[in-house]
Amino acid sequence: MTYTFHLPDIGEGLEEAEIIVWLVAPGDTVERDQPLVEVLTDKATSELPSPVAGTVLRLGAVEGDRLRVGDVLIELDDGSADGADISTEANQSSVTVAGATDVPSSVEKTGPSEPAPETTTVVGSTTARVKAAPATRKLARQLNVDLARVSGSGPGGRITHDDVRAAAVPVSAPSRPGEELSATEDSPSPIGEPATTDATLGQMTPGRHPLRGIRGVVARNMAQSWSEIPHIHTLDEVDATLLMDLRARVRSMDRPGAQAVTPLTLAAAATARALRRYPMVNGCIEGNPADTIVVHSSVNLGIAAATSRGLVVPVIRDADQLDLFALAAAISKVVDQARGGKLTAADLAGGTFTITNYGALGGRWALPIIPPGQAGILGLGIIADRPLAIDGRVEARPTLPLVLGVDHRLVDGDLAEAFKRSLMDDLAEPLNLLVGS
Amino acid sequence: MVVGEVASRADLLVVGAGPGGYAAALNAARLGREVTLVERAELGGTCLNVGCIPSKALIEVADTAALPNRVAGWGVTSSVEVDMAAVRSYLSRVVEDLTGGIAQLLNRAGVRVVPGTARFSRPDRLAIEHDGDLQHLEFRHAIVATGSRPIELTDLPVDGERVVGSDDLLFRDDVPEELVLVGGGYVGVELGCAYAKLGSRVTIVEAESRVLPGFDDRIGRAVTKGLRTLGVGLCCDHTALAVDDAGLRVQGPDGEMVLPAQVVGVVVGRRPNSDTVGIAEAGATVDQRGLVSVDPGRRATQGVFAIGDLTDGPALAHKATAEAEVAADVACGYSNAFDPTCVPMIVFGDPQVVVVGVDEETATNQGMDPRSFRFPLAASGRARTLGGDDGFVNVIADGDGTVVGIQAVGAHVAELAGEAALAVETAATVEDLAGTIHAHPTLGESILEAALGLAGRPLHVGR
Repeated sequence: MTYTFHLPDIGEGLEEAEIIVWLVAPGDTVERDQPLVEVLTDKATSELPSPVAGTVLRLGAVEGDRLRVGDVLIELDDGSADGADISTEANQSSVTVAGATDVPSSVEKTGPSEPAPETTTVVGSTTARVKAAPATRKLARQLNVDLARVSGSGPGGRITHDDVRAAAVPVSAPSRPGEELSATEDSPSPIGEPATTDATLGQMTPGRHPLRGIRGVVARNMAQSWSEIPHIHTLDEVDATLLMDLRARVRSMDRPGAQAVTPLTLAAAATARALRRYPMVNGCIEGNPADTIVVHSSVNLGIAAATSRGLVVPVIRDADQLDLFALAAAISKVVDQARGGKLTAADLAGGTFTITNYGALGGRWALPIIPPGQAGILGLGIIADRPLAIDGRVEARPTLPLVLGVDHRLVDGDLAEAFKRSLMDDLAEPLNLLVGS
Repeated sequence: MVVGEVASRADLLVVGAGPGGYAAALNAARLGREVTLVERAELGGTCLNVGCIPSKALIEVADTAALPNRVAGWGVTSSVEVDMAAVRSYLSRVVEDLTGGIAQLLNRAGVRVVPGTARFSRPDRLAIEHDGDLQHLEFRHAIVATGSRPIELTDLPVDGERVVGSDDLLFRDDVPEELVLVGGGYVGVELGCAYAKLGSRVTIVEAESRVLPGFDDRIGRAVTKGLRTLGVGLCCDHTALAVDDAGLRVQGPDGEMVLPAQVVGVVVGRRPNSDTVGIAEAGATVDQRGLVSVDPGRRATQGVFAIGDLTDGPALAHKATAEAEVAADVACGYSNAFDPTCVPMIVFGDPQVVVVGVDEETATNQGMDPRSFRFPLAASGRARTLGGDDGFVNVIADGDGTVVGIQAVGAHVAELAGEAALAVETAATVEDLAGTIHAHPTLGESILEAALGLAGRPLHVGR
C-alpha cells in the first residue's frame, strides 16, 4: 500500500524545510533508513532517511521548494497489503547529519546472471545532474561552491559563472568564533581557514537573484527580529588586562583543551553566569501579537559563525553546566562542524541567548540584531591596547569593547545594565569564573 | 635476484599503460612529477592493441568489403576480394603506428616506462615482476589503471582455436564460415556486423530478450533490424551451454538446440583487473563486481588512485582518459573531480549507434518531465546522399528545455557523438541547438532538425 511520508518535525521549533536535493527518484527501490532527500532547515542541511522499505511512487516537491512540517514529502509503495495502520510521522531522532554533499548516483545495476553481458556498458549519466558546463563546474570547485545548492540564472536554469561567483559570496558575517579576540601579543594565526576569501567577499553580479538557501533563512529571521523586537543596546568597555593574563596562563597549562581556551570562551562563561543570575534575559516574548513570556530553564548559548555557506548560529547546550575547558571544546567543535557543513538542525535549534564576535573580523563596535525567539545578544569587539584612566593616570591597557542588545519588551534598562555589569565584573576579574556562582 | 624488501623510490607510479594509464602519466609529468609507468604488455592497453582501434579498422575493412552490395543501385559495379592475412598485418600496422606514438609522447614527457606485472605488496609499495625478476617500488602516489579482461564462461573455456575471445577475432588469418558470438552487447554486435560483411554466417546468442540489452528499446530494435538485413541470426533468450563437434549447444525457453559453429566467440563483457594488481592490499575497497571505491577525485586510499575500468561506470577508453586527468590533478595537489553529466557511448554496428545522456524513461524516472523529438534520417539530405535513410536522431530535453540526452541510430552517426556530448555536458538548451547554424549538407543537421522539432518549429518533417 501507499505509505505517505510527511515532512517530520526534525528539530525543535522547525516549521519548514527547503528541498535541496532528492537522493531518490520515482521508481527507485529504497531500503529502510536509506537517505531520501537532503533538506535545508533552520540553516542546517539534513538527510531524511526513509521510514520504510519500498518503491518510490511520487516526490512531493521539487528541488528548491519549501515544505511545511506535515506536508507530503514523498509517497512510497511499501509492498504491504492495505489496511495496516502506520504512523506517518518519522521518529524525531532519526535525523542524520548531512556530511559530504556528494549525491550518490543511483546508477541502477541489474544483476544479470552468470555471463553478465556487458554490465559495464549500461549507458546513462554518471552523476546527479547539475546544469553547469565543465568550465563552470571547475570554477565551482575552485571557489568551493556546491552546485547542488546553486540555482542557475541561465537559459533552462543553467548555472553560469556569475551564479557560482554569487554563491561563493558569504552572507554578512558577524564573527568567526574560535579565533582570537585580540590581535595583541602572541597574535597567532587564526584557527581554521578564513570563512571567505577577499576575492569573493561582496561579489555579486548585477541583476536579480533568487533569495534562497541560507541567505533566505537569514533574511527571514532578521526581518522578523527587526520588525517584532524593539531593540535597546548598551555599550561599554572592559579592562581586559587580567582576562588576557588568565588566558595566557591557561594556555600555558599542560592540559588537554587548554589551547582551545580563548577570550570568547571566557566571555561565554561570563554570559552563562549572568544568564543564571538574571533568568529573564534567558527568556523571550512569544506570540503574534505578543502574549506570553517564556523563561527558559536551560542556558543554551548560540555562537554566531560565518562559514562559506553563510551565517549559522550553532548552539552550546547547558553552557552554564560546563567548565572552561569543556566550554572551549564545545565551541571549537561546533565551529568546526559549522565550517564543514556538518551541523544538524538540532545543533542550531534551541538557543536562548547569542554571542557574536565581530572582533575577530577587526570590528570594535556594532549593534547586533537579536535572533527570533531570544531576548538578548552580546557583541564582542576587538581587544586592543587603548588609553584607560587608572588612579588618575592614563595608561595603555588592553580593553574589550562589548555591546549588549536586549528586547525592550522584556528587558528594561535597569536589568540590561545589571546584566552587563555582571558580565563586565567577571571579565575584568575572570577568577570569578573559576570560583563558581 | 633476491626477493627482498629493498625498494627503490618512485615519486608517482602509474600501473597500466592503457588510455587511462598513459594519459595519467602524461598529465602528471606535465605537472612536474617524476613518473614511472609500469606495463606488463604493450603500451596502449586493450583499447589500442586489442579493442577500439583494431576493431574499428576491421569494421572499416568489412564495410569496404561490403561496398559492392551497398553501391549496386548507384550505377557502380565492382567486386572485392579479402585477404585476411594481409588485413591482419594492416591492422597490426595501424596499432603499431599508434602505440609507437604513445611511446614517443611518454619519452618526450620524461616518463620512465618499466615493463612488468605490478602487484601491491604494501599500501605504499608495488612488487614488479618481469621475466622472473622482482623489484619493489615504493611510491608517494600510485594511479592504478589496470583495466579489465574479458569475462570467461566456465563451460566455454577459450582455447584460441574453436572457442575464441574478442582478441582472436580481431586478428585472424581466415573468415570462419560459421561464427557464433556468445553475447549480444556492443562487442558482439560490432563483430557480428563485421564478420557478416566479410562473409561469415553469423549467429549471436544473447541471454536477454534482444541485443544491446542496456540500451533504449528503439535503439535495440533498429540494431536488430540492421543485423537481420545483414543475415545475422539472432538467438535471444538463450544461453550458451557447451561446444561439441556439432556446434554450440544453447538453452532457451523451449529447450536446447545446437547452432552450427566453426568458431565460437565469447564476448560477454569484462571484469575489472583489480584482483590481479591486488589493490585491496593497498587498503582500497573492492566490491563483488571487482570495482574499486573511489571519491570524486578518484582516490581509493590516501596515496592510491584508481581510474578507468576499475571504477564504476561504463568500461570505455574515453572515460578512463577523462578520469586520468582528474586523478593526476588531485595527486599533484590540484582540485578536480570526475563529475561528468554524460559518458558518450557508441556502437559501431550497422547501423551505428550514439547514446549520450539519458533517454526519456530515465529522464522521467529522474523527475525531469522530459520532451523529445525524433528526426528521421529519411528526411536528411546528407543521409540520402550517403545512400542510407534508416535511423533517426532523437533529442531529449527536460522541462526547462535543457538538452539532457541525444541518441542517434544510422549510418555514419558515430561522428555526431561530439556535438551531442558537448550539448549535454554544457547543459545547452534546445534553443541553443536550434539557433546554431549547422553546415549543409551534413548529418549534424539532424540534431538541428530534432531541436527545431522540440522547439515547436520543425522544418523538414511534420510535427
